[in-house]
Parts: sequence; C-alpha cells; structure tokens
Amino acid sequence: MSQTLNQPREEPQLAAPAHVKYIQSLDSRKDEYDYWLTEHLRLNGLYWGLTALHLLGQPDALPRAETIDFVLSCQHENGGFGAAPGHDAHMLSTVSAVQILATVDAFDELETRGKGKAQVGQYIASLQNRETGTFAGDEWGEEDTRFLYGAFNALSLLGLLNLVDVEKAVNHIAACANFDGGYGVSPGAESHSGQIFTCVAALTIAGRQDLVDKERLGRWLSERQIAGGGLNGRPEKKEDVCYSWWVLSSLEMIGKTHWIDKDQLAAFILRCQDPERGGIADRPGDMVDVWHTVFGLAGLSLLQYPGLQPVDEVYCMPKSTTRRVLG
Amino acid sequence: MADQGGSQHGIARTSRVRTDEQRQRDLDRIAKYRELEDQVRALTAKGDYSSTVFQLTSKLLRLNPEYYTIWNARRRCLISGSFSRPSAGSSCSRESSTTSPTATTAPSSTNYSSSSSAATQPAPSSPTAPKAGRSGTTAEASTTTPDAPETDESAATAAATEAAAAAETQDLSVLKTELAFTIPLLLESPKCYWIWSYRLWLLQQAIARLRPAVARGVWEEELLLASKMLGKDRRNFHAWGYRRHVVAQLESAALGGRSLVEPEFAYTDKMIRTDLSNFSAWHSRSRLIPRLLDERGADAKARRAFLDNELQQIREAINVGPEDQSLWYYHQFLVLNLVAPDKHPAMTPDFTREDRVAYLTREIDEIKELVEDYDDVKLIYEALFEYTVYYSQLEERQPTPSERADLVTWLGKLRELDPMRNGRWADLEREYNLNE
Repeated sequence: MSQTLNQPREEPQLAAPAHVKYIQSLDSRKDEYDYWLTEHLRLNGLYWGLTALHLLGQPDALPRAETIDFVLSCQHENGGFGAAPGHDAHMLSTVSAVQILATVDAFDELETRGKGKAQVGQYIASLQNRETGTFAGDEWGEEDTRFLYGAFNALSLLGLLNLVDVEKAVNHIAACANFDGGYGVSPGAESHSGQIFTCVAALTIAGRQDLVDKERLGRWLSERQIAGGGLNGRPEKKEDVCYSWWVLSSLEMIGKTHWIDKDQLAAFILRCQDPERGGIADRPGDMVDVWHTVFGLAGLSLLQYPGLQPVDEVYCMPKSTTRRVLG
Repeated sequence: MADQGGSQHGIARTSRVRTDEQRQRDLDRIAKYRELEDQVRALTAKGDYSSTVFQLTSKLLRLNPEYYTIWNARRRCLISGSFSRPSAGSSCSRESSTTSPTATTAPSSTNYSSSSSAATQPAPSSPTAPKAGRSGTTAEASTTTPDAPETDESAATAAATEAAAAAETQDLSVLKTELAFTIPLLLESPKCYWIWSYRLWLLQQAIARLRPAVARGVWEEELLLASKMLGKDRRNFHAWGYRRHVVAQLESAALGGRSLVEPEFAYTDKMIRTDLSNFSAWHSRSRLIPRLLDERGADAKARRAFLDNELQQIREAINVGPEDQSLWYYHQFLVLNLVAPDKHPAMTPDFTREDRVAYLTREIDEIKELVEDYDDVKLIYEALFEYTVYYSQLEERQPTPSERADLVTWLGKLRELDPMRNGRWADLEREYNLNE
C-alpha cells in the first residue's frame, strides 16, 4: 500500500502537526517488536525526536522532567552513557545524552543528580587514541571519524575540549582527506557524505576550517544532488533524505549551500513525508523513522523552510540552544 | 549523530494497522525476546560470564545483531572463560569500562605472542621484543643451552610447552568458531557496524594470543570474506574499509607480513572490469598507485608509461559512459597529478612543465572530441572548463581570448544542461570574470 499513488500532483506542504504526533507516539509503541529491537538506540532516538520537536517549534511536546530522568538513568559510574538502562556506555549515546541535556538546559541536573560534567568529559577523553588523535566508540576500540566528531561536539558543549589533544585529532582528520576534497572513516577510506559532515564539523569546532579544500569539496558535495532533487551520499548512489542533512550542513559550513537547487531538495524531502501519520522516510513511499524525520526537518530548516526553527549546521541542534550554551 | 543502525532504509510503507492475529504474533515475539534479554541481564549483572550466558548471547544476537551490549557480554565471556587464559589488560567487570580503548585491543606485551618466528626466522622487524614463549621455548632452550643435562627445569619447560601448544589450539578453535558465528549475521546485515567491529576484535585477539604464523592464517581468510562481501555489494564501504584494515595488518611486522600492493592493485582492476562505475574501486586504485610505483622502483620512463596506460584506460571508459561521475573523478585524480603535484601524490615527479602542459593539452583535445558524440553531457563541459583553467595556470598566464570564448560557451552549456547548480556556475563566472 504505497502512498506514492495517492500523492497529490501539487507540491506537498510540511505536515508539522502529524510529525509532532508521530514523535510523541514513539515511546508508546511497546507492543511493536521493533520498539524492543531498537532499544540500543533509545537515547539517540530521544535526541533525534527532541531535536525534531524543537525545530518544529514544539519544545515542550515531550515532558522535560521525564526526559532528564531517563537520560540520567542511562549514565554509568565512569561518566559515560549507555543507550538505555542496562546498556553499556558508548560514545554515540554519551554524545546524545549531552546534546539532550544541553537542549533542555539541564547541565545543572547532571551536576546535582548525575555524575557531573567533569566525569562525562573524562569518559570521552579516555576514548582518544593518544598516538593517532582519533577516537574509539568505547573500550573495545572501534575507531571512526564519527566518534572524533562526537567527542568534539559533546566536549565543546560541556566546555571541556581542553581535556583532549585537539591538534592531534585535527591532524588525523587532515590525514582522512582525499583528492576529491572529501573525507572518509579513516585515512585511506573513500569520501562519504556522512564522514564529510563529521570531519568538517569537527574542524569547524576546532577552528581549523582552513584545512578544508572548500572549492573541491563544495563541488563534490553539490554533485550529490541528482534528478528529482534528492541528495546521495557518494557518486552513483541512490538519493536518501538523511543526506539532506549531511551534504547540506557541510555545504552550509563551507558557505556553498547556493551550489545546489534548494527548492528541489525541499520538495524532495516533503515528498518523503507520511502526511497523514507523520514522520519522514528515506525516499518517497518508504517506511518512516525518527532518524530520517529529524534529518529531513533539519535539512528543511537549513533551507529556511517557513515555520521551522533555525538549526545549527555544526551540532544538529536548535540554534537557540547552541547560542545559549556556547555563547 | 551519524549512526544508521536501526533506521528504515528502502522498506516500502505499509498500513500500520495490524490484524489481531498479527498483533498477537508481535506480542509473542516480544515476550520471547524480552525473556532472553532478562536472562542475560540478570546473569551479567552478577558478573556471570559463563557458558550459559555465552549461549544466550548467541540466541539474542541472532535475533538482534545491533545489540552492542550483548556483543560486549560475549567478548567478556570469551575473555573470562573460553580463551585459554584471561588476556592481560582486560577485565570482565562492568566497572572496568574506564580502561583505555587500546588496553583490550592492542597485543599485550605480557601475552605469549612473538616467540616462535623469532626463534626460527632471524631478526624479523617485530615491534615487540621476542620473549620466551610457549612454542618457541624449546628451540630457544636448545640453542642457548645445548648441552644442558635433563633437569627438573627442562621437564617443567617441556610441560609448559605442551600446555602452551594446547592453549593455542584451544584459542584458535574458539576464534574460528566465533568468526564462523558472525558470517550468517553479516550476510544478513552487511552494514551492521557492530558485527564488523566484533570481528576485528576477534582478529586482534588472534594476534595477541596466537603465534604470528598461526594468526596470519586466520587473517588471510578475511581477505576472502571481504571479496565475498564486495561481490554481493560492490560499494559496501564497511567491506572496503575492512579489506583495507586486513591488508594493512597482513602487511605488518606483527604478522610477519610483506607488501600486498600488487595483488590489491590487481583486485581494483578486477572490480573495475566488472563494473566501470564502481568509484570505490577507482578510489582504492588512487590510494594504491603512489605506493605501487615506489615499490616497483619505477623510473621516470616506467612512470610515464604507467600514466599513459591509466589515462588511456579511463579515456576509453569515458568514451563509453561520459555521464558517469566515477570515471571523471578518476580522470581528475590523474590530471591533479599533472597540475598540482605538490598537493597530490605525484605519480610522475620528474615531469617538466612542458611534459605537464603536453599531457594536459592532449587530455583537453581528447575531451573536445567527445563533444562531437555527446553534446548534451554536462560533465564533459565541466571537465573542459576545469582543465582549461588549469592549463592557463600551469603556464602562469591569464586565459587567452579564444580560451575565454570557450569558457563562456561551456559555461552557457553548463547552465543549460545543469540548472540545478546555477549558483556554482554563477560563482565560476564571477571568479574568472566571464561576464564582462
């Protein structure tokens, strides 16, 4: 029962109320198998949902006190956060926890009821590979520029970037650059839009955008837009709403957003909505999920779609939050 | 955060209304899943990493390979039970999670890792000093004390050797079983980060726990796996990354390795022949070439011949598929070698400026001929524009009036054929003052 057949001819509008309801419903789906299969993403999911709601101008659509309680219930003695109570600490969930607490302005509760900012900073800093500068996801050692970005994101929000060797990390990112201007998971890896976002954002946080070959990268990123208006993640791949965030935010950071057709991209994202039941999918007619929902909305926000709050292109958080926290 | 796990990709939207029967089936599955989960949690919370827990993790991971905490529990089971002895630097307790990430993954110096090859092959460039280890002990004992009489000490040594050999057999068997366990999961979820990283952790354990020659055997099989996964999805960046990692380890001193740059280069050939549009393979090629030429000891003539060959190959490919971005990116890589040898790995460092100009103008001329067959492919005009600018920059001059006229024409074609990127064309026009 694909929705594409029923779609009206004219450009769809943003189904904001449906999206709010969809996100609010996510934690009430305990009778669905997928709810349990995705528990390892619960804290990330909360960050995605909360950010989406803030961008939709509904910051109070999730209860603040319960949000904070849940986040703190995921924290371990060592300062790191797991995806849900009973899940091991990991960089990805720790970053989501910090982002959520920043967004609901609850760092003081982390201090009084949690293990405190300093302990979180220590946990993240302990994951830096002091030889190469990159970061692991957890104690088991998987390394990826995603984790490096996550560390910079969370530590800068906490005001604790001084705990890590920023210069070494920056050198590591420089070593991940390719001839096409893009960046990969690690030195030698193929350029990939997701990793480009993490590398360019980390360099931006470190104040080292001078290392980016903006002309060449901007050109590569602008070529991600394909017929139909959507963006793909690598050459000769299919389009996907999530790249509306990674490609577009990277273009924004290097000042080249005007190198793609914004109207066509906005129309593509809107076509990926489920207009009745809310949520955004990877492509028109597919199943929605909260992950594509937040990145679709964040993309629309960068495109200055009417009615959405501005998003910070480096942090993927409401700009009002990063302005308050980072000054 | 950039984590694709658990999100829906390419699954057609269906009605969310379930029949009573479907709902009941979901509830049954949930109950079964949660019961399993509760069992594992109850036991691991008490620090129980027994074979019971291990078997439960098998069941749970088959249902949900994204459950990273369960992969971690499985690692702890191996460390505290299945392996021949706990690996130094690792601990089974939850509270140990503050240990540095390298502690559990780097080969520990207290492990019996590097003895035997050190005894049989003189002076391998192993990063760790050879220690008296299990299987090497006999050889070392016999060379250092050839005439030593039978003593309790040597009997003890023999016993230790036997124990060490048994331990290695046990560890190898555990690792092989574990590697096999992940295969069906990987085939079903080829983009699941956690499975790939668990597998790499196992391989790291092989280096830490087995003699290099034995560990090498384990790692070598991984190349076959990478090829198999890339055969199923030629662009899977997990599999490409895995392949690069495996190759680097197989080349390392820790595994008594030597360069694999030639067979890896040949592998990109094979992948490109299967699918010209596979940019992952072209990318890999771009990273291998500088090393390949160095290791071949290629002189100026050989380098020139190599570049000629690469250019001819990519030109032929572009002639067939000029709308394929992958091909043009590789062409750019070769051209950057000519025009920006200081910023990009130089394949032909001996080229004079005249050489560079001659090569670049030949490429420009060839591409101009393409326009006659394909006048509506924007990538052709983009390349002509870019390379003509490079040409004038190489000669440290402004574009000539006729070049300017060409640039204006090509920019017009770009605007006509590719209006999506009009903002970029406008910037190019401004940058090169083409609107005067």
